[in-house]
Amino acid sequence: MAIRSLVIALALGLSLAFQAFAQAPDANTLVVAQSVDASKLDPADTGSRPEANIAAHLWGTLVQTTSDGDIVPYFAETWTTNDTGTEITFRMVPGLQCHDGEPLTAIDAAYSFNRAKDPELAFTGNTPGFIFASLGFVEARADSDLDVTIVMEQRNPIALGLIGEVFIHCMDSYMAMSKDEAADNPVGSGPYRFIEWIKDDRIVLERVADYPFAVEGAFERIVWRVIPEASTRAAELMDGNVDIVANVSPDQAATIDASGRATVQAVAGTRRIYVGFNLRDEFAASHDNPIAIEAINNVLVRRAMNHAVDVETICTQLLGTDCERATGLVNPPNDPPDLEPYAFDPEGAERLLDEAGYPRGADGVRFSIRLQSPNNRYLNDANVALAVGQYLSDVGVQTDVDLLDFSSVYVPLIIGGNMAGPLFLLGSGGATWNALYDMADLSRVDAGTNYTGWDNPDWFSGWDRIAATTDEAEQRVIVNEMLQVFYDDAPWLMMYFQPDFYGVSTRIDWDARRDEKVIVTDATLR
Amino acid sequence: MWQYAISRILQASVVIVAVTLITFLTLHMSGDPTYLYVSERASEREIAQVRERLGFDRPLHVQYLSFLGGLVQGDTGRSLTYRTSAMDVVLERLPATIELTIMAMLIAVTFAIPLGIVAALNRGTAIDGGIMALAMFGQSIPSFWLGIMLILFVGLGLSWLPISGHVPVIEPLLKGDLERAWSNLPNALRYLIMPAFTISLFSLSRNARLVRSSMLEVLSQDFVRTARSKGLKERAVVIRHALRNAWMPVVTMLGLEFGFLLSGVVVVETVFSWPGVGRLVFNAINQRDIPLVQSAVVVFALVFVTLNLVVDVLYARLDPRVRLS
Repeated sequence: MAIRSLVIALALGLSLAFQAFAQAPDANTLVVAQSVDASKLDPADTGSRPEANIAAHLWGTLVQTTSDGDIVPYFAETWTTNDTGTEITFRMVPGLQCHDGEPLTAIDAAYSFNRAKDPELAFTGNTPGFIFASLGFVEARADSDLDVTIVMEQRNPIALGLIGEVFIHCMDSYMAMSKDEAADNPVGSGPYRFIEWIKDDRIVLERVADYPFAVEGAFERIVWRVIPEASTRAAELMDGNVDIVANVSPDQAATIDASGRATVQAVAGTRRIYVGFNLRDEFAASHDNPIAIEAINNVLVRRAMNHAVDVETICTQLLGTDCERATGLVNPPNDPPDLEPYAFDPEGAERLLDEAGYPRGADGVRFSIRLQSPNNRYLNDANVALAVGQYLSDVGVQTDVDLLDFSSVYVPLIIGGNMAGPLFLLGSGGATWNALYDMADLSRVDAGTNYTGWDNPDWFSGWDRIAATTDEAEQRVIVNEMLQVFYDDAPWLMMYFQPDFYGVSTRIDWDARRDEKVIVTDATLR
Repeated sequence: MWQYAISRILQASVVIVAVTLITFLTLHMSGDPTYLYVSERASEREIAQVRERLGFDRPLHVQYLSFLGGLVQGDTGRSLTYRTSAMDVVLERLPATIELTIMAMLIAVTFAIPLGIVAALNRGTAIDGGIMALAMFGQSIPSFWLGIMLILFVGLGLSWLPISGHVPVIEPLLKGDLERAWSNLPNALRYLIMPAFTISLFSLSRNARLVRSSMLEVLSQDFVRTARSKGLKERAVVIRHALRNAWMPVVTMLGLEFGFLLSGVVVVETVFSWPGVGRLVFNAINQRDIPLVQSAVVVFALVFVTLNLVVDVLYARLDPRVRLS
């Protein structure tokens, strides 16, 4: 009898569980799936891209960068720069307020900048860690209720774009909270207000009524779900439970497209993938293959290696999309229009290597070299590195590929001591809004991001010439000259701008951006 | 009994210290974690500042002793990524993991025991062969693959169960919100079935085999023959006499099984987007958030050690010949 009751209960339980299950979002809710959760929601301390995506809906900024790379007014309606270029004063839109009803003025804007720099709070996020360092930020001050001035160490041609990354929040709300409280209790100023955060599961935001910059037809609620596994994200998308999925695996694109419920948008991202030549003396002194070191210090060899690799085929076969080979370190549309990418020309590469004094030996090998690459950091990076290694080996440069764990081995090797190489594969974040942002990787010979240790004086003297003029057309001429130097001297084996893949439900209208930002304020129901 | 309990607690302390030491050294062996907390454009000076702020500039033994000192006072430090008490972050995720593990345990026990008994009673037949073949399959199949297959066929294809996510039950219970816990229960079960089954399949298969072999051994003994010769019904012979005696190795295994299931949640929580400790640890290891990893290790070790203790006590209760000493 007891067993029979148990069986009946089990059957009832299973029938309950196996009822057709529907959890699709309603017409007012947009669901976005990202691979990781935010670790904190403090506007001064956002770190990862998924965290910044959510923050961009909670808080506004003085200016915004559009998906086309244009910098447009947002909380600031106009701005002026002083004669020395060290101060930019923004006139803010009147009548703004934070989500708790506190008026948002220039005092709050100045506080937002200064709070991020406060040594007692010791933030390490993107604003204090990268934006302020790149900006040369000194302080922010409120000149009136509507005027806020950002003071920098020196004129900075890319200041506006950087300032547009700083989230503006209200002083009284944040003064009343400790750092720990602020991390979990965001008081926003942007188009969506914070409703709920279930850690590692979801963050729910709700549209702010009467928001001055609201887009007509925007969704009432946004749910940011955390789905770490790419296959699960794709399944949720195809089942109609999620509307936008970031980081779709390219091999799932055809399946998603065939589902009829979603499509995959592939965009050429702004992350520059390249193979660097480690030209540093300290690396040369410690490396056990002097022939390889001597070879990569020869510009003819570096050009030959650029000609040896078929980047278009790598994109098609390994990244699942067409791409245009990079001509240098600057993202389109800011790259020089007259430069043509290095052509895939193995015969030409062999000629250059012969000319450089590295003929094939009896075994067909000119010289051996090591290529180091992270494994699983960038899109299909390990296979890309293996393919590059094979292309180089095909022209007689016997290439051994070392695949390394990114966080434990590669980062310390690259950032810590610049000891990767002689060849190393790397991806570096870029932007669409100014060539100088991308070029700032090589702002000085000793810049932390000059991983190759390249020291061509024709390039580095260009920075002084740019700083000496405020004329944008003149700056553009100098930029093009510098990029020609980069192209000719080839400190990088130039590859591609990493494509990004987004899965988008067929029930919505939304276009993915190139800069890895997932901004859904303009997403609408079809 | 008290002497036994105190000696086991001392043993547990040694285990926890050893486990945290190994974890600490392993995480540090893979390089300086500071680089994961600086911008890619950070200068050497900025990197040094962050290293000092995070405390990684101190000698390793000082860092570890500092952690141990905190542990004694119940403070395992602040998470580097969440910037709050690491133990709080772990305890916040623990209910979800416990829900998953209990459900997995229930599935494993509910199916393993009857399957093992049926196989033993039908030894050498097609039923026995079929059950053992399924058990072999269950032990061979990787949980990662099984999880994805369930998602594709049961979740996406048949739409019987939700693909991923979590509805809490223990968390509202702990907050005293019984109404919410009760109303969440039906939905929570739907979300639990696939991940719990994925975790439990290995245990279910292993325990079915164990029950079968244990039952076979007992069924061949004299007291079972005596019970049958007394004219008892077969069900009474199996349940009252044979199963009770076959129970001992199964209880031992089940106690350890909870710990095993707990360790299995890392992959399954990632596949099913389950917001538990397993996924937290996985991310913390990638980020080398050492205080967070250490806190989770301490919690897991405590659970494991406590379960072992419970099993030992239970063992003595089930078999009076066993004495705790």
